[in-house]
Amino acid sequence: MTEWFWAAAAMLALLLPCGLVAMRGSIMDRLLGLELASPITSASLLALAEAFNRSIYVDLALVYAVLSFVTTLVVVRLLERWV
Amino acid sequence: MTAKEVVNAVLLGAAWLVQVLCVLGVWRMPHLYDRLHFITPATSVAPWLVAAAVWVREAMDHQGIVALLVALFLLLFGPVLTHATARAARLREHGDWRPDRGEKVHRR
Repeated sequence: MTEWFWAAAAMLALLLPCGLVAMRGSIMDRLLGLELASPITSASLLALAEAFNRSIYVDLALVYAVLSFVTTLVVVRLLERWV
Repeated sequence: MTAKEVVNAVLLGAAWLVQVLCVLGVWRMPHLYDRLHFITPATSVAPWLVAAAVWVREAMDHQGIVALLVALFLLLFGPVLTHATARAARLREHGDWRPDRGEKVHRR
């Protein structure tokens, strides 16, 4: 087990409290759990790419970062106007 | 353990610590606007530490460049998302994001 595996595992473990935040409180509080989970997931994908030495996982981290930004922004606009 | 591995471990540990503090802040802070502040280090500090660790190992490799792009993207667009969230929360509370008549606004 390299330091990259430990880092990726530790970062992925942080998704659990993010999920718990996303399951309690008001709808805006829940959104914060989702917003916090996105950069943590991107960082853990970067660490996993190094751990497995697979460059495709780094591309996945970039695509995930872009898509999570767009989708979260859409959700925010939706909450702002309609829900 | 080589010097590179030690530097990587320190950088990754620091990134994880920043993320833990962000999670704790979002978990424990009493108000939505307080919690919003704790999203920023997770998007602007932690990814740079991970990207730096990737750079120590890979330098100008494909992985190093993309890691830098990820960190740069999160640094640029994380605040946009935070601003949009604060705006949406304010709109939901008051119906308008601008200050109400007579509302105290702190200006510098």
